[in-house]
Amino acid sequence: MLWTRVTPTSDAVPGSGRGPSVTVGYEVAEDAVFKRVVRRGSATTGPAHDHTVKVDATGLRAGRTYFYRFTFDGHRSPVGRTKTAPTGSVSQLRFGVVSCSNYQAGHFAAYQHLAERGDLDAVVHLGDYLYEYGPGEYGAFRAHQPAREVTTLAEYRMRHGQYKTDPQLQQLHAAYPWIITWDDHETANDAWSGGAENHTEGAEGTWVSRRAAALRAYHEWMPIRFGAGDTIYRRLRFGSLASLSMLDLRSYRAKQGTPGSLTGPDQMAFLRESLLDSDVQWKLVGNPVMFSPLLVPPLPLAVGTALASLTGQSPDGVVLNNDQWDGYSADRRALISLLADNGVRDTVFLTGDIHTSWAFEVPVDAGTYPLSRTVATELVVPSVTSDNIDDLTRTPPRTSSVAVETALMGLNRHLKWAELDSHGYAVLDVRPAEVRMSWYFLADRQRADSPAALAKSVVVPAGTQSIR
Amino acid sequence: MRRRSFLRAAAGAVVLSAAPGVAFGAVRPGRRVYVVVLDGLRPDEVGPSLTPHLVALQGEGTYFPRARSLPVMETIPNHVMMMTGVRPDRTGVPANSVYDRLQGAVRTMDRASDLRFPSVLERLPALGSRTGTVLSKEYLYGVFGTRASYRWEPAPVLPVTGHAPDVFTSQALRAMVDSADPDLVFVNFGDCDRVGHSDVTGSVARSVAVRSADAQLGSFVTHLRETGRWERSVLVVLADHSMDWSLPTALISLQPVLDADPVLRGNVVIAQNGGADLLYWTGSEADRPLAVARMRSVVEAVEGVLSVHEPAWLRLGPEAGDLVAYCRAGWRFSDPKPWSNPIPGNHGHPATSPIPFLIAGGDPVVRKGVVSSAAASTIDVAPTVGALFGLPSPHGDYDGTVRREAIT
Ligand SMILES: [Zn+2]
Repeated sequence: MLWTRVTPTSDAVPGSGRGPSVTVGYEVAEDAVFKRVVRRGSATTGPAHDHTVKVDATGLRAGRTYFYRFTFDGHRSPVGRTKTAPTGSVSQLRFGVVSCSNYQAGHFAAYQHLAERGDLDAVVHLGDYLYEYGPGEYGAFRAHQPAREVTTLAEYRMRHGQYKTDPQLQQLHAAYPWIITWDDHETANDAWSGGAENHTEGAEGTWVSRRAAALRAYHEWMPIRFGAGDTIYRRLRFGSLASLSMLDLRSYRAKQGTPGSLTGPDQMAFLRESLLDSDVQWKLVGNPVMFSPLLVPPLPLAVGTALASLTGQSPDGVVLNNDQWDGYSADRRALISLLADNGVRDTVFLTGDIHTSWAFEVPVDAGTYPLSRTVATELVVPSVTSDNIDDLTRTPPRTSSVAVETALMGLNRHLKWAELDSHGYAVLDVRPAEVRMSWYFLADRQRADSPAALAKSVVVPAGTQSIR
Repeated sequence: MRRRSFLRAAAGAVVLSAAPGVAFGAVRPGRRVYVVVLDGLRPDEVGPSLTPHLVALQGEGTYFPRARSLPVMETIPNHVMMMTGVRPDRTGVPANSVYDRLQGAVRTMDRASDLRFPSVLERLPALGSRTGTVLSKEYLYGVFGTRASYRWEPAPVLPVTGHAPDVFTSQALRAMVDSADPDLVFVNFGDCDRVGHSDVTGSVARSVAVRSADAQLGSFVTHLRETGRWERSVLVVLADHSMDWSLPTALISLQPVLDADPVLRGNVVIAQNGGADLLYWTGSEADRPLAVARMRSVVEAVEGVLSVHEPAWLRLGPEAGDLVAYCRAGWRFSDPKPWSNPIPGNHGHPATSPIPFLIAGGDPVVRKGVVSSAAASTIDVAPTVGALFGLPSPHGDYDGTVRREAIT
């Protein structure tokens, strides 16, 4: 899926609804200087699409790098690079994994580091690609445009437009294909199927119309295909080595704190099918919110409140992890049983949303772990910029959080590693022998040129559902 | 009729028998293939702490982390699949335990006449190669009968488990190699499984058994190296099934449930296979379709039952009866009585299908240090062994696949 936006007239700015309908040309080549062009065509856009252009480039060969560019009115766009998924026997895949990129909280240096390494097959973004808040709400380092919480189609379009002007974000989009899903902030904080914590029915319009506006802008501005009924949960295959099931855990969920489903029945059936697929080794799940059960120890009020703001409601520092799978334990139990009952191996949840870094073994029964078996592993990536514990408690990094991490691992023996302070990205290597996740942390989220360093690497050996 | 010949080896402790007309002691050149079954080993037990020798062997071979046992995930059918390369609807051996309609009793499939399909154990000797079996369990010794050129009858056999401890199996294996040197040897180490049945997961005894089975494997490799055979050896190391543990509270007895139904009462016999129950309608032929449908709906409603299948759907033949019921992970069947199956460790159900599967060795034909995403299974052993010896496919071809990922 190739994406760009064209500004045919100076007034055709994002969200304006102005400007003519135009036709944009595109070329796909095997080489960066377009000597071997394999696809050529054109696409029409206009104010109805906010002048965004999406081309579904089909008929390409599997497992190959391609270059593409757009042409309009005698101008050529910068060259983008993409890659098709491999088929058959595949020996290695490498993904960059990110989530929670809040423009107002810092620079997207993580994106630049991933772009510059140049060796990824794709970027997996697990959601919270952008945030709905107004300036100063949830970060004041850089100001959001428009200067208010976005609720209408024009405003969501403007916000998408602003994010797409970030040079580091542009660089990463130009470097690899992206595999994305949304979490809540693409619409509003702690969204569920009928509303959101950060939505005031009436004053901010109806949830139905707000959600439709957010979805439409997302569809226009993001390189993604929507399925029938606007579904975005979908499965990508990489030969016999891996599948990647991207979940949508906002559109069908029951309200937090009420009994009900997180996935909805259709998506649950889809996920069961993914996990039971006997033609593929690694079943990767692009999972916007944390799957593993988490018991939270008594914490100092400030830290408890900070952690709770990442996990769920907390009127008094008592952490309720109810925005995550913890709040929907029937769905989780069904999946754990499915994996155990059928002897499914090599399921790895790749998780975002919680702004912090974690590595879990998913036990059949957390209460009897480690005597009980594990059925999967879960690797959680930190935020690109969004606040985590040291930001929220306003303490220096690696001070108050260290004791909390130790306490969490003591109480949750299936938790193998946690780091609650740092921002950055992860690189996932997938091979028949193992999955390796490497976390890279930024020195300073407020520096565009922040260095990043490898902080932690864990290995999931094939067939073991364990972390080494 | 020529008599079988016998050999006492290892200072008289091991007795080997040879097929009529086959001598002991002839040392011949050529490739050797050893199929080593670590009975009931779970793939998640494979690691540096419990199985250091197996891990070391991974570096000298090709490992298949997706490998699976096939229905019914029991010892006898999977050993039979390993040696024939075809599914139970062709071997005639679907489970450890079946209801024998002719005999009117539930019995173990331990008769040589139970196995109806040619195995590599007798197909290779027909072309001039020699084969040997070193099987620790009496029922395996029984079902493979006199097919191999050389056989070891398990001894001493423990009365409760019906198997010879690994230390004796190991001794017999060395004696077999030293005195008969077959081209193909099929070995079963039973301790891991036998301890697994009676123990609980993560226990010290199970760990000791796994470590000891791994140590036997290590000492066998050392023996091959010391006797100069390693450079022409191929080892296929795998399990026949995995193991799952259940508490006495997670026990399913189908017989009382079926007998509570007025139509089914007294007309259903169950052959219990740990995590799988085979159900046989014994009433009138005319009533069978309706009765089987009724059996299915009754059984599906029982807590702990995972699924119910027609045997043909699992590629099991008529020996498997009318329906196969699987239990969920952490459960077991106990039939016909709630006290019939007191053992916590069981297999037979899908939770126990993941197995370790490795092809290693010093023979240059083996690809070293490879991990493959291919879906290997027990049924792939015979075709792979056949390919290594240039043996033609059997009539009707194999159901399994040559694991070429492991072979240059
Ligand atoms: Zn067995």
